[in-house]
Amino acid sequence: MLWNRIESARREDLQTLQLERLKDTVERVYTLTPFYREKFDEAGIKPCDITRLEDLQKLPFTRKKDLRDHYPFGLFTVPMSEVVRVHSSSGTTGKPTVVGYTQADMDIWDEVMARVFTMSGASSEDVVHNGYGYGLFTGGLGFHNGAETVGATIVPASGGFTERQLMLMRDFQATVLACTPSFALHMAEVASKAGSDYLKHYKLKAGIFGAEPTSKGLKEEVSKAWGIDYHEVYGLSEIIGPGVSCSCKESELLHIFEDHFYAEIIDPKTGEVLPEGERGELVITPLTKQALPIIRYRTGDITSITTEPCKCGRTLQRMESIVGRADDMLIVNGVNVYPSQIEHVIANAEGVTLNYQIIADKKGHLDKLEIQIEVSDEVMSDNVSEVEKIKKDIQSSLLNNLYINAAVKLVEPRSIERSMGKAVRIVDKRT
Amino acid sequence: MAIAGKIKQVSIFMENKMGELTDVTTLLSKNNLSIKSINLAEASDFGLLRVIVDDAAFAKEILDAAGFSVKITEIFAVAIEDHVGSFNEVVRLLSENGINIEYTYTLSNKEEGAFVFKVNPAMISNTLQLLRNSGVKVLDRV
Repeated sequence: MLWNRIESARREDLQTLQLERLKDTVERVYTLTPFYREKFDEAGIKPCDITRLEDLQKLPFTRKKDLRDHYPFGLFTVPMSEVVRVHSSSGTTGKPTVVGYTQADMDIWDEVMARVFTMSGASSEDVVHNGYGYGLFTGGLGFHNGAETVGATIVPASGGFTERQLMLMRDFQATVLACTPSFALHMAEVASKAGSDYLKHYKLKAGIFGAEPTSKGLKEEVSKAWGIDYHEVYGLSEIIGPGVSCSCKESELLHIFEDHFYAEIIDPKTGEVLPEGERGELVITPLTKQALPIIRYRTGDITSITTEPCKCGRTLQRMESIVGRADDMLIVNGVNVYPSQIEHVIANAEGVTLNYQIIADKKGHLDKLEIQIEVSDEVMSDNVSEVEKIKKDIQSSLLNNLYINAAVKLVEPRSIERSMGKAVRIVDKRT
Repeated sequence: MAIAGKIKQVSIFMENKMGELTDVTTLLSKNNLSIKSINLAEASDFGLLRVIVDDAAFAKEILDAAGFSVKITEIFAVAIEDHVGSFNEVVRLLSENGINIEYTYTLSNKEEGAFVFKVNPAMISNTLQLLRNSGVKVLDRV
C-alpha cells in the first residue's frame, strides 16, 4: 500500500521534480539568509549556476554548529508570524538547536509520516500506541500527526510509566506500537512477567521504531518479543523530524522520501560525494522546507544508499540502517572502522560484556588496534583454553568481517574507565 | 542433595598485572577464609586463579562484591599414599574409563596429601562412583 503515488514514480520524473525544487530552495536561501548568501558568494556560486542535480556538490555544507551559532531563529527565512511550531534537539553541550515550521512545513511532515504509517500497514482501522516522548523532541508529535493523517486512533501515551502503558495497550487493543526500540524491549520484559503467554493479551501487529541506532540483533529481539513486523524510521529535527525514511515490508533498507529530501553520501574526511553503494556520511538537503531550509546538512550518520528497485513497488532509493557516527570513524591501516561494527561482533560473543574500549596506536609506521573487553561477572569457564577461545573467536570475527587485525584483551569487570556512567569507547593515541 | 565427594572450587579471572593476587588474598584473609589449596593457570595476558576455601559460596559473594569475575566449579579430591606410582594409578584408572582430566593440582592438609581433579561436570558423579568402587579414597571435605 502506498500513501502517495509519487512513491512509485519513474526515477526520471522524480529527478525532474527534485531539480525544480532544489533550484527554488537555493534561490530561497540565497535571497533570504545572509548566512547562505555569504557562503555562496565565498564559493563563487550563484543560484543560477544550479542547472543539474549534481551541481549541488558545488555548494558548501551546513553543520550542526551553524544552527547553534544562529540560535535561536537566525536561519529562519520567514517572519515569526508564519512559524506555527518550534522544536528543539536536546543540547548536551551548550545551546540546543532550534527548528521551526510553517503550516506548509507541518503539512509536509504530516504527509511523510502518513507514508511511514502506510508503509507499516497502518490505516484508519488501527489503534496506534505512541510511546515517543511528547514535547520539544520531534518524536512524540511527529508520530502523533502522522497517525491522525492516516485516520488511525492515536493513543498519546508519551514516555515512561511502563505498567500503565502496558495496561492501555491491552485495554485499548493497540495494533501498532511507535516508540524507541529500547523502550519496546523494556516494555516486553515487564509484560513477560505476567507469564510466557503474555502475548495473548496484546493485539500488536507492527511497530515503528527509531531515534536510536539499532543493531540487527536488537531489531530481531524486539520483533520476536512482541510478535510484530519491525519497521525502522529515520529522521532528524534539523531536516524535519521522524519521516525522512522508513523501511517497508519487503526489506530492512529504509526508503528515503526523495521528493522532499535530497540525499548524498560523502567521504566524511574529504567531503567528496561517493558512488552509489559506498558507505559514508549521509548529507541531506530538504527540498520543500520553508521556515528553515538547509543546504547539504551533514547528519554525521554513516550509511549507504541504493537505487535498486524494491519488491514493494516503491522507486524511492533506500538507505541502510545507520552503521555509526562519522565522528567515531577510525581508519586503521587504511580500513574504515566504526565502533558500532566492532560492538556488533562483541555482542555476538559469549562470556564478555558490551563494556569495551578501542585503543588505536602506532607500532612503527603501522596502526595497531587493541580492543579491551570486560568479561562477564561470572567468568564463562575456569578452563584457560576456553577463555582464550573467546578471545580468538572475537579476533577472527573482526578479521573476517571487518578486515581488521586487532588484539583482543580480556579485562576484569568494571576496569574500563567510565565517563558519566558510560565506558569511554575510543582512545586514539596516534594523534 | 549434594553428592559426597564433590568439592566447590572458586575460580577468579585475573588480569596479568601487579598486585592482582594480593587483592584476592587480602580479601580472603580479611574475611577469615582459609585457603586450603591454590593454583594459577596463566595465559598470555590473563590468568585463572583457582582456590579451595572452607566456604566457597561466601568467598564468591565477597569477590563478586569486589568486582571480580568469579565462577564456582565442582572438583573432587583423592587421597594419595606417599609412594611411587600412587598418582599414576588414579590417572590410569580414569583414562582407561574414558574420563578426561581437564586439570589437576595438589592439596595437603595436616593428615594426608591429596590431588584435586577437574573433569567434565557431566562425568563427575560417575567418576566418583568409579573411584569408590575401585577402592580409591575420595575426600568428602578438604
